[in-house]
Amino acid sequence: MTDWTIQSLAREITARKISPVEATQACLERIARLDGRLHAFITVDADGALAAARALETELAAGRSRGPLHGVPLAYKDLCHVPGLPTSCGTKTREYFTSPVECTAAARLRDAGAVTLGKLNMTELAMGPFGDNAHHGDVHNPWRPGHCSGGSSSGSAAAVAAGFALATLGSDTGGSIRLPAACCGVVGLKPTYGRVSRAGAMPLSWSMDHLGPLARTVSDAALILEVVAGHDPHDATSSRRGVPYYQRLLDGPIAGLRVGVPENYYFDEIDPEMAAAVRAAADVLGGLGALVAPVRVPDPRTLSDIGNVIGRSESAALHTRLARERPHELQPAMRARLEIGFHISAHDYLQALRLRSRLAREFIAEVFAEVDALVVPVIPEPAPALEAVKAGSVDEFVARMGRFSRLTRPFNTLGLPALAVPCGFSSDGRPLALQIVGRAFDEATTLRLGHAYQRATTWHLEGPRL
Amino acid sequence: MMTEKEDRVSADVAGLAAAVERVAADLAIAEEPAGFAQALEGEASPDQRRD
Repeated sequence: MTDWTIQSLAREITARKISPVEATQACLERIARLDGRLHAFITVDADGALAAARALETELAAGRSRGPLHGVPLAYKDLCHVPGLPTSCGTKTREYFTSPVECTAAARLRDAGAVTLGKLNMTELAMGPFGDNAHHGDVHNPWRPGHCSGGSSSGSAAAVAAGFALATLGSDTGGSIRLPAACCGVVGLKPTYGRVSRAGAMPLSWSMDHLGPLARTVSDAALILEVVAGHDPHDATSSRRGVPYYQRLLDGPIAGLRVGVPENYYFDEIDPEMAAAVRAAADVLGGLGALVAPVRVPDPRTLSDIGNVIGRSESAALHTRLARERPHELQPAMRARLEIGFHISAHDYLQALRLRSRLAREFIAEVFAEVDALVVPVIPEPAPALEAVKAGSVDEFVARMGRFSRLTRPFNTLGLPALAVPCGFSSDGRPLALQIVGRAFDEATTLRLGHAYQRATTWHLEGPRL
Repeated sequence: MMTEKEDRVSADVAGLAAAVERVAADLAIAEEPAGFAQALEGEASPDQRRD
């Protein structure tokens, strides 16, 4: 079953070669057998999943199919409010987050026929890039236990890589979908800001939060996006723009698309194997007809700083009660990061919000006048060892967090769609990944490039030996 | 006398404030946060819509 994609499983379910109950049981058995080592799940809802699968099986027997997700087992980051299941958000408190509304993205997937396996482990409050968690266990990288899964959607990536779920939902405020996807060798998409409703998901920063899919293939990620995207009256920031049929657009030609490889910042101090793999991936796209060329981009450090002012201010405001009333429950690094937000002035916060508008406008005008997409690394090095990233002082740990997420954070400030795609392995077998960044609301082109890359390569067909 | 932790927070906050200051000097009065959503919504071409 580790070879399953949503598409291949959907074909088998449609052909009655496997039933939703059998598919769900296979996932639950694998989770029971292997997750004690990986810690991808916080809550496994075996009874709920099997009940849903049985109901979906009855529908199929009656000749009713909800589409390609009918009977497909999925799981959600433990910041998505799913009725009947606790939402810890990676904190010590089992039911940290409650919401008057169900997580819209998860509800849309359920209505499309997906089976909910449970809730996935994550970095505490979605505030770190490594996947460590003192309360629920560090999430281990399925390719290399003892190494980081990446975060904060750590369980979301590990569960897909380990074959526990066909796809998952994660959230991304500074890279939290793309970083674990890159570490674990799976696909992760941070859509455009406003493309996917955040209603019913714990906010970390309402200006920077995005929800999106993690999956084995770009094609599966496109399918999930198609279901979860679109306006939601429960999220005032969700766009009213129509949702394209992303999967149908995947096979369009990429010949003539202009792909920029930044010559500043994004390849500075990058692990040589990572840099070579990303450049080789750009060459693959060039071989398929894309017009690959170097490009200079506006200074991403400014974008990161502005994003930090906004994100820190909002996260401190949102999680004041925990930080002030029960600070001892927070891991020291999260406490330290939240604390900064309490001291940023209203003036600086508002200036940062105003600057974000200008920086986004300038970036879009300058960069996308020259290219249709950017190709950059996601992470500066392959997944590091858990003990190495946690060693030393809180200050050192927090500084490592900043360095590890420095290639993803600028695109949260900009709100642009960014796709992590596996593109090889280091000499010691850890996944390597590229990041494809597109125009606002042009996930279709971003996904098309990623899909073309996966059709030309086989990295995504590899799986970890567990 | 500030503790080591307070020193660290002050330094981080000062660094972020300086970053804002560096680029905010020439912000026009008319520039407001809502311009961000407009920048994104105005970017994509109409043919990407399906409804």
